[in-house]
Amino acid sequence: MTDIRRVAVVGGATAKFGIRPVTWAELAQEAGQALFAAVPALRTEDVDSLFVGAAEPERFAFQSHVAPLAAEQMGLRPHRILQRTELACASGQSAIRSAYAAIAAGLSDVAVAVGIEKMNLPSMAEANTSMACVMDRPWDGAHGATAPPFFAMVAQRHMREFGTTEDQLAAVSAKNHRFANSNPTAQFFEKTFAVEKLKRLPMIAPPLRLGDCSSMTDGAAAVVLVAEERVRQYTDTPAWIRGTGQYSDFHNLANAGSLTEWKGLAHASREAFRRAGIGPTDLDVAEVHDCFTISEIIEYEALGLCPPGAGGRFIADGRSDRGGDLVVNPRGGLLGCGHPLGATGIAQAVEMFQQLAGTVPKERRADDARWGLVHNLSGSANVHSVMIYGKEAS
Amino acid sequence: MSAPAARSPPVLPREGGTPPPERPPFLLDFYPLEESNQTGLSRFYDGLREGRLTTTRCPADGTVAWPPRTVCPKCHHGNLEWIDLPRSGTLYAFSAVLAGAPLGMEADVPFAVGLVDLDGVPVRLFGRLAGRPWTDLAIGDRVVFEPFDLPDGRVFYRFRTAP
Repeated sequence: MTDIRRVAVVGGATAKFGIRPVTWAELAQEAGQALFAAVPALRTEDVDSLFVGAAEPERFAFQSHVAPLAAEQMGLRPHRILQRTELACASGQSAIRSAYAAIAAGLSDVAVAVGIEKMNLPSMAEANTSMACVMDRPWDGAHGATAPPFFAMVAQRHMREFGTTEDQLAAVSAKNHRFANSNPTAQFFEKTFAVEKLKRLPMIAPPLRLGDCSSMTDGAAAVVLVAEERVRQYTDTPAWIRGTGQYSDFHNLANAGSLTEWKGLAHASREAFRRAGIGPTDLDVAEVHDCFTISEIIEYEALGLCPPGAGGRFIADGRSDRGGDLVVNPRGGLLGCGHPLGATGIAQAVEMFQQLAGTVPKERRADDARWGLVHNLSGSANVHSVMIYGKEAS
Repeated sequence: MSAPAARSPPVLPREGGTPPPERPPFLLDFYPLEESNQTGLSRFYDGLREGRLTTTRCPADGTVAWPPRTVCPKCHHGNLEWIDLPRSGTLYAFSAVLAGAPLGMEADVPFAVGLVDLDGVPVRLFGRLAGRPWTDLAIGDRVVFEPFDLPDGRVFYRFRTAP
């Protein structure tokens, strides 16, 4: 660890998430506009590398070779590393991890990580088809395996094994939607969802209702990461990358093992905590992958915030809300913000930067936050990616 | 390994031609390319046509894999043998697709899906659940494996719940 360079996020911005009347390329332009507005000291010529998180542009935008397209749209001419990262729902965090690795290794000094996804198509069924090929398409997808029925089975097993309730699931959604009401970039910024309302929404994949599921969303976000010696040029409030970890467990659903014990997340977070030199109780804020309400409940457990099976009580007791053990998903989560696959991980990092800087509205602020964690799962929770940010460099 | 008898030859778009209307464009087609000129696993689909559920086992280290493979995931041995799997099992978990179905599956909504523990082997398969509606299903219910023909000459499989 001593011979790699320290790296910090020194700024970032999220473009409006939602059902947007714009193309993939226009989302890239918006991300560039938002980034350079948020980091006034950053000049386009400073950026030596660009990492583009994009899950399915070939299917959602009928476009390959998107890294140079994004660079052109953002007004960048990367001259060290230009690449796209694809890891389905974790494509955005993959871009950040790659930028971090490049800077830490001395191959880049100033790198932008941008995440872009255009998911709302004229045909929703066609979009759902693309979501189904995130799974093992000829073996699982062909049976109709998309994310909702898979995570519904996860919820069914968690309810059976631990007594988790529909009210506890709805409490996750209500919390994250409430936080989204303070985030103008969130898809559901202006909509309110209390528990009773959520429990009346239609069933999508039993036991999961509409309000238990994140949305098909268009959106983009960008952050800039720099080497230690460049940090003060851009900000007085950097978010230092202090640890990271990842674990890939299986792909075909036959090889998932227990649906309720996410060993991959336990492995990935243990590695990230070890590198940061902290443990779960040190966290002040976490942005975790609430693609479905049940996901956030199991993530409490696998991250070590509570014992296995106790995630339902963790939300019910308010321990992941303001005034609790830590604030989880203050940005509004995937449930409140929508889930443009490639953009989600970047938007979470933007939130983490702002949380550690103390610049988010009070309604969702983790007070005096020093340590934050970002988690993404991808696919059928078969891959977990974790990053830990600190207010201090060491 | 010969191609199955009494089946039409592989139907693939060639030389600027278009695929037959019953088979969607490849990038919207969930079902596998099953023919022996497309996959080393065509024997699996031959097995379905005979009513069998098969997979591969490594003769070197005994690894039983799902899905079937051409190379052992543990020892990378390349000449795997085919074995029959049990054709009945119990429901480990299930749900149903009530909205948001992909192309070609919209007419099936609502449909049930589940994870099935096959009898007597440590193999748990995901599949469509035909038979009783999802509202009448319970974890632990008995199900049987059921191959079926696709309109374009291919074959696939599902599970059927007991009446």
